[in-house]
Amino acid sequence: MDKKPSHARTVIAYIVLIILTFLCLFFFYILIVNATRSHPEIQKGFSFIPGHSLMKNLRSVLNDANIPVLSGIKNSLIVSSLSAILATYFSALTAYGLYAYDFKLKKPAFVFIMLILVMPTQVSAMGFINLITKMGMLNTLYPLFLPSIAAPAVFYFMYSYMQSSLPLELVEAARIDGSNEFHTFNRVVIPIMKPALAVQAIFAFVSSWNNYFIPALVISENNKKTLPILIAALRSADFLKFDMGKVYMLITIAIVPIIIVYIALSKYIVAGVALGGVKE
Amino acid sequence: MAGITFKNVVKTYDNGVTVVPDLNLEIKDKEFVVLVGPSGCGKSTTLRMIAGLESITDGELYIGDKLMNAVAPKNRNIAMVFQNYALYPHLSVYKNMTFALELAKVPKDEMKKKVQWAAEILGLEPYLDRKPKALSGGQRQRVALGRAMVRDPEVFLLDEPLSNLDAKLRTEMRSQISKLHKRLGTTFVYVTHDQTEAMTMGDRICVMKDGIIQQFDTPQNLYDHPCNLFVAGFIGSPQMNFVDATVEKADGGYALCFGAARIVVDRPELAEYEGKMVVFGIRPEDLHAEPAFFGKGNVIDAYIDLDEMMGSESYLYLNYADQKLIARVPARYAKRAEENISLAVDAEKIHIFDKDTEKAI
Repeated sequence: MDKKPSHARTVIAYIVLIILTFLCLFFFYILIVNATRSHPEIQKGFSFIPGHSLMKNLRSVLNDANIPVLSGIKNSLIVSSLSAILATYFSALTAYGLYAYDFKLKKPAFVFIMLILVMPTQVSAMGFINLITKMGMLNTLYPLFLPSIAAPAVFYFMYSYMQSSLPLELVEAARIDGSNEFHTFNRVVIPIMKPALAVQAIFAFVSSWNNYFIPALVISENNKKTLPILIAALRSADFLKFDMGKVYMLITIAIVPIIIVYIALSKYIVAGVALGGVKE
Repeated sequence: MAGITFKNVVKTYDNGVTVVPDLNLEIKDKEFVVLVGPSGCGKSTTLRMIAGLESITDGELYIGDKLMNAVAPKNRNIAMVFQNYALYPHLSVYKNMTFALELAKVPKDEMKKKVQWAAEILGLEPYLDRKPKALSGGQRQRVALGRAMVRDPEVFLLDEPLSNLDAKLRTEMRSQISKLHKRLGTTFVYVTHDQTEAMTMGDRICVMKDGIIQQFDTPQNLYDHPCNLFVAGFIGSPQMNFVDATVEKADGGYALCFGAARIVVDRPELAEYEGKMVVFGIRPEDLHAEPAFFGKGNVIDAYIDLDEMMGSESYLYLNYADQKLIARVPARYAKRAEENISLAVDAEKIHIFDKDTEKAI
């Protein structure tokens, strides 16, 4: 075996990977460095060396009465966590319904859900706002997590995962063992679906954490705002009071939970990419 | 404990396909009944109807004397062992076995006793804390049996439970299931497509084809007196030889003529077939190469296409008058391929079938 070409390939692969890694991490580094620098320092141009204004920036973010960061974090955590739980549990439940039962409208139901999948949020936004206004949910957190119950993309993922990993014999065995349908779902199906649930929970958490569009339409009260709205509010603040260090600090605070989630659960995320599509 | 009765049961799927057109079957209490037949013959559907996993389109199903048509599986007091074991992968062997008991709110000590009892019989004691993933195929199958046993059901349903095991383990599990049946004294309904399993395990065997029961009888009767061509061909390995023959009148009865052979049988019921074609069947072991059988006549000279030496006996694949035959003869009387051999047809063991209706005459 001639080893030279494979050696060259390894080198090229590493170079490409290093460039990609740099592209990914560089912006995080700049963000964190800038969060430690003062507004005038940042205006001078970028630097690789951290500044000395970390605490000052942090204090000015936390003490700004117009930008309730702590309640923002709390709201974001509530909304994202509930979104993740609702999206995964109810999508798995829906997928299970279509996978394990035979009923007349099974195919149309599946097609209908797939049609919702291709519908952009913006199209239905006006109707959505009308609906929640009539329901008296404007300026509450409910409209931010309740719609996660209907998550067609998560449903489709769960459905494919069930096809590959949930033999119907198990469900039948549970039925014969005396388990009712909900008990079967909670005690037999959910544990088998754990890897898929974990992956989708992460994705649902992150996308809800980053969501700006719907919260911006629904929430106007300061103490109900989620982090993305607060960041936007800070950026569009009065020009005279504009402080870049403060903006970078707030963004840093906003991405910390996401980074923690990704680092802690990277194993599931990598596995999740391959999940679902594979059929044994 | 209970028997099972099917009365004019029909199963039609939503797409209009009828897999079981009209089933009448009575399984006695404590009996071991094997449903056997080729794929798609409706045997699994029949079993699943007993379990309540398939709805019944028409007719009545009784377990004991209770009508079960609309009763949910969990209320039928049955236990089922699936082909792929269907063990809960996230639960330990112990938890798998207590799953149903917990739902039935059985007290903890009783639960423990029952699991201990089943584990002891099945040799599962060392594995109670393991997950199914960490068990071999045979062990998993035993857990599936144990899970059924602890429930103390009225009826045991087994859906091809051995088909995923290797040959040696299958033989071992076969005897273990038979022993279990004797020990538990419960009604067993066992589905398989393997006629060896059916013959060795069943008190009675129900041979099915296209959703219709062909014959429901003891293994010995099925083997000795198959009611039609299908049953005759399905039961027995190697399968029965079938030859088209003409019926002619002869001294002492009627003669079945094919090629140069004229086999005289004393069967008055052949009168109406005189001059007509029938199918005559003979089991491979009823073609004798031992000279002791030659005295009675009915000897044919056949050409051996292929021989399979099995040790104590030999399977000879023969060509006689352009018909293919298989003979099973003691090894020391066998000849090799491409030779001729004389074989005596045991006229008393002959089966004769109507060519049109395929029914035994």
